[in-house]
Amino acid sequence: MDNLISVRDMCKIYNPGENEVRALDHVDLDIEKGEFVAIIGHSGSGKSTLMNMLGCLDVPTSGSYYLNGRDVSAMKDNQLSEIRNQQIGFIFQGFNLIANLTALENVELPLIYRGIGRSQRHKLAKEALIRVGLEKRMEHKPSEMSGGQQQRVAIARAIAAEPPVILADEPTGNLDSASTREIMEILKTLHEAGRSVILITHDNEIADQAKRVVRILDGKIVEDYFNQSPISSQIGNKAD
Amino acid sequence: MGNILEYIKMAFKNIKANKGRSFLTMLGIIIGISSVIMVMAVGDGTANAMNSEVEDLGTGQINVYCSDDAANAEEWITPEDITAIKESITGVEGATPNDGTSGTTITGKGEFSLTFSAGTEDLQKALNFTLKRGSYFTAVDVEEGNRVCVISDSDAKRLFGSDDVVGMDIDVEIGGISGSYRIVGVTQQKENTSFISYTYEGMPVSLDVPYTSFDYFGWQSDSFYSVTVFANDQASGEEVVRDIIHTLETRHQCAGEEYYQVQSFQDMLSEMNNMLAIVTTFISCVAAISLIVGGIGVMNIMLVSVTERTREIGIRKSLGAKTSSILLQFLAEAAILTVLGGIIGIVLGLLGAMGACGLMSASMGSVIHPGIKASTILGATLFSCGIGVFFGIYPARKAAKLSPIEALRRN
Repeated sequence: MDNLISVRDMCKIYNPGENEVRALDHVDLDIEKGEFVAIIGHSGSGKSTLMNMLGCLDVPTSGSYYLNGRDVSAMKDNQLSEIRNQQIGFIFQGFNLIANLTALENVELPLIYRGIGRSQRHKLAKEALIRVGLEKRMEHKPSEMSGGQQQRVAIARAIAAEPPVILADEPTGNLDSASTREIMEILKTLHEAGRSVILITHDNEIADQAKRVVRILDGKIVEDYFNQSPISSQIGNKAD
Repeated sequence: MGNILEYIKMAFKNIKANKGRSFLTMLGIIIGISSVIMVMAVGDGTANAMNSEVEDLGTGQINVYCSDDAANAEEWITPEDITAIKESITGVEGATPNDGTSGTTITGKGEFSLTFSAGTEDLQKALNFTLKRGSYFTAVDVEEGNRVCVISDSDAKRLFGSDDVVGMDIDVEIGGISGSYRIVGVTQQKENTSFISYTYEGMPVSLDVPYTSFDYFGWQSDSFYSVTVFANDQASGEEVVRDIIHTLETRHQCAGEEYYQVQSFQDMLSEMNNMLAIVTTFISCVAAISLIVGGIGVMNIMLVSVTERTREIGIRKSLGAKTSSILLQFLAEAAILTVLGGIIGIVLGLLGAMGACGLMSASMGSVIHPGIKASTILGATLFSCGIGVFFGIYPARKAAKLSPIEALRRN
């Protein structure tokens, strides 16, 4: 299995029974190493559920999910923690930084859980922060930074441990246009450096900056195409 | 798993970052532990002080008296019985009848009422006094019926304005008959006896005299209702009591009639201890309540703080923290808070106990040492810390078991 991500016949059903909600309805998806994929859909389409599955934050009701060759759909809580720690870097819409830790300490968190020693940890975290252009903000708390800066800390946290997958859930949803551009630039740079980036969004403009677009509607993948020339192309209308 | 030091560092960071909440948690523990230690120490200290005073007064004292069935003077205890008890029972160091009467005297300082405690020379064993001047009256005085007396220094000052009174005579009147007693000794009250003996204005002057000296006043001194026997420390109280009853019943040929009854000092002591136990139980209840109140405070703060941090737990889990890592972090925080709070609580409790005992000692004129028991400290500390740790971990465990998205959604 060469694919980084291989999802087969995945279903996620909430409230099984009469009022069941099929958030994911027999989804198949393959993503190769080094891809830059945007998963797009409006709210309620199931894109967040798919992102939770891909990020090992939740387990599917049925179907299989191979991540880097390992079947994670049947894993237990602790194994999932380990997979998240080693395979996935999260970037959330709400940043999800811990308020009473400095930028550096926030970036160090996943490295602590990986069991990396203090000096090595410091080095990796600093490098990550330098890469997102925050070398002057390392000792600042989240409350002392702008939204764009906070999201950059979150990106640094996601890349510090060099995970194969970067999973960004509406990373620009809470940001102004200038910060949005900044963040997108960083993601593109990461992709160019060989990282696999998966971007979840409802915004066509954002999605068009990715190499590949997967559109999801009512729990099903309805479109899956490659942008000919990202950024400029405007293929596909907004789903109603 | 990472290493434990990381979690301890993390815990310290969190405690420092949330000073208010940390302080409130510790406050609950501090109040719980310190109040228990203080209340128990003061309570036990008072009990110990009372106990040691009573013990000072007379271990080994056995009080023998005739029951109501022995209304007949033939069964009453005679001087010969007393001699027999003294001489034939091993472990008995002395015996004296408990006799006494009242009278009056007029001195240069005015008119005083008198209380006579009469007995043999062994009467001095019963008293919680030391001799300051002269000597106690002797067996010879008892045998010859000499009218000699021993007086306390404070009473001597009341009668004569001085305690240098050995050799002086006191003119007394008992039952309309006048006579005089020569003072042979002056006693001094022992220290630390505020619970049992105290003096007040107008209380009778007390004199110790040989019981035979009452003969002069036309008194029958050949049978007594009650006798005090002094056993030495090595003697078994029960055996001595049995021997005394046996001796008396043999001499009066009334075996099995239960004419003689005994109240040993041990009985009195155990009665007193029962009383103290009730007081201690009450105090313990008060202490337990403050411990529970403190515990509820700790519980509330811990519950709130963990609920508040459910999102943080979600973030940590999404970054790869295992349930056990989360628990370790919260355990470290709860342990640091409770241990710090516990130490402060113990120190404050001990200081408080010493302060309270010092105040009480000063106001009562008697020394009370705080009765500090390791079991109290240990119990209170374990209880508070147990509550702190349990309510620090239990909700954290629930939060850590949530799926990370669930935890992240909470705010």
